[in-house]
Amino acid sequence: MKKDKLFAEFFRNNGVVLGSILFFLVAFWIVFLILLPQISMLNYSLHPNPINLDAGEFADDYTLKNYKYLIFGPEGASDAFNKVDLMVFVRTIIAAMAVTVMNLFLCYPLAYFLGQSKGTGFVRLLVVMLIVPYWINEILRAFALRIIFGDVGVINGLMMQMGLIDQPYDFINADIALYAGLGYAYILLMLFPMYNVIESLDRNQIEAARDMGASWIRIHRRVVIPHAKPGIASGMTMVFMLSAGALAAPQVLGGTSSLWFTQLVYQWFNDTLNWQQGAAYAIVLLIASIAIVLTFMKIFKVNMGDIGK
Amino acid sequence: MKSNILFGRIALGVYFIIFFGYLIGPLVVMGFTAFNSAAFPSITPWQCFTYEWFSELFQDERILNGIKNSFIIGFGTVILSVSIGLAASLVLTQVWAKWRSTYYTIIIAPILIPGVVLGISTLVFWRQVSDMLGGVPLLNNGIFLTIIGQSTFIASYCMLVFVARLQRFDAGLTEAALDLGATHTQAFRKILLPFMRPAIASAAVLAFLASFENYNTTTFTFGSYPTLTIELSQMVRYGINPSISALAVIIVTITVFGALTLEVLRRRSKVKAGDIKPSKGLPSWLFGNVATILLVALSFGLIAMVTTAQSYSPQQCKANYKEARQLENQIKIDALQAARAAAIAAAAANGETTEESGTDEPATQGGATGAFGGVFAPTNLEGAAGQNSGEDNGAAAPASPFGGVFDPTNLEGAAGQNSGETAPAAPASPFGGVFDPTNLEGASGTGGN
Repeated sequence: MKKDKLFAEFFRNNGVVLGSILFFLVAFWIVFLILLPQISMLNYSLHPNPINLDAGEFADDYTLKNYKYLIFGPEGASDAFNKVDLMVFVRTIIAAMAVTVMNLFLCYPLAYFLGQSKGTGFVRLLVVMLIVPYWINEILRAFALRIIFGDVGVINGLMMQMGLIDQPYDFINADIALYAGLGYAYILLMLFPMYNVIESLDRNQIEAARDMGASWIRIHRRVVIPHAKPGIASGMTMVFMLSAGALAAPQVLGGTSSLWFTQLVYQWFNDTLNWQQGAAYAIVLLIASIAIVLTFMKIFKVNMGDIGK
Repeated sequence: MKSNILFGRIALGVYFIIFFGYLIGPLVVMGFTAFNSAAFPSITPWQCFTYEWFSELFQDERILNGIKNSFIIGFGTVILSVSIGLAASLVLTQVWAKWRSTYYTIIIAPILIPGVVLGISTLVFWRQVSDMLGGVPLLNNGIFLTIIGQSTFIASYCMLVFVARLQRFDAGLTEAALDLGATHTQAFRKILLPFMRPAIASAAVLAFLASFENYNTTTFTFGSYPTLTIELSQMVRYGINPSISALAVIIVTITVFGALTLEVLRRRSKVKAGDIKPSKGLPSWLFGNVATILLVALSFGLIAMVTTAQSYSPQQCKANYKEARQLENQIKIDALQAARAAAIAAAAANGETTEESGTDEPATQGGATGAFGGVFAPTNLEGAAGQNSGEDNGAAAPASPFGGVFDPTNLEGAAGQNSGETAPAAPASPFGGVFDPTNLEGASGTGGN
């Protein structure tokens, strides 16, 4: 009853034609692009793979065995847990956090500088210089770092010519290239949300704090950072989610022995063709990263509505 | 106090250099590798200045096809995600307060969902829908799936752009139009749409670029229509060569050009509006603006490059370089041969006559022996074939099968031990196996080392 009234109001505000178009588009997006695919993937992950069914199992059965596989490994394996995949998972999460924190420290000073300076030509140019690399293909950016960090890459070439080392250092297998690449890929998603909030900070507040004798560190801790918190949270969330879910950089820059969790998902889908197992892994990744983000948002008291501003 | 400020400035400068070095440095290095004739993209050692990677790029069918697919998908994604984003932002302004945060969470979520997950869920969902409807080819089509998958999150980006613009919209204008007798559709078309036009333009550019560079989602949904990014990832993973750098140079140039032009236009409109005054002392068309200067410099650089590309040929330099390399290699080979001769002499002194055939033992050949041997001698089939199955031995030397035919009993060990090798084949060894079966085991064993 009440709902009908609300719908009637919506159509009265927008007219029947426009109202229906708006309603149709938004409903299509939310239902068919966002909600149903996720539900469908969850459903998929709860079914066994029809190609290698266990005895007495049917393709329509609901089962948790895809999730069990991630934790305990194949049945009858010597280890009690699926050590390889779990290690990859833990490593992915921790490395993504490390990359996020690294980006935060790298970006904060620049965001503060840009946010507090007036929009002069120089600053505009800096912003353009920042945006340009971001529009270059993710693969190409990873490729650029591969050129730099490779065995016959620029850094090794320079160091060998200067006589610092006589054997090329394996940056790829040491994962240095991977972390540099991940940080590089999403650094602007950290910078711009922070820049936007710091820009809205009234400069008089900083002046006032300085006049009252607050030290440089104290100004940042008490004035700038509390104000920038939504931007920091927004940037950290995006960088964490995107680096945990990154595929391009690990594929191009990852060492031979170390995998990223998304690469496991990719293997289940494209190499092993076990979509159910891959869907289960994807669900685990999704839920784990959302849970981590929500936990941190709770700890630092940030609202979901702040994200994306 | 003064030294403090100086120190701060230096620290800031160092930090800027590090930050922009990290951000721009890799692209600059990659740009240089596109002009180096070395087959692996590198700047050290610098071989010859060349444009050959550009021509190689333009002859690559897969790249051209990828660009075509990327444009089709980008176009579809722009239309779908801009209209969805616009609708979602309009609904956001009038959704009931109680539901607003839920609604906002749902439509912002696609930005935060990993692209891999979006790709998988799109693929899985539409596959199921298609199965339910009895197999609709459209729903399994790579272009359709990619547009849908990408629009899921690109629509959120567009929505954010529109929300920012809508905040400055005066709803009174629409009300006035409605009061004056316009229909809702008319008011939308004549008032809201013109107001939103700049936002629609920037959302469209944003959507196209995001679609063009997307990898994580597309890699699951592209089907038989690989986009440029997919083709690039294949190239990067299975063999790097500088034509990728050449492509990067082109993309970077276009991007920089676009960004600078936009900046100049924005500046010019601001000057016209009187927001900022053109600085004195410089020609007015420059506006004292760094962006304009850079844009002009870039254009001159491009023109210079294209004109020299017509006449410039690196052949002479390459020939020189090749000669130098050959000389270098010849010295290395000589040294190697001397060392080997010394080793053989030493071995001969020890009385091991089979040593020579052992050290030069062929790999592909050895593998071929095994495969054919396995075919001709059924008793050995299991062991030999099984051990060789992992190989891709190209051409089998005609001599080797005879070894297998004439002496099947000795083959098991030989084939097994040689299967892992890839050294070039020397014709001597199979005959060794044929004529002197008792030596084979030992010989191939040494070869395996």
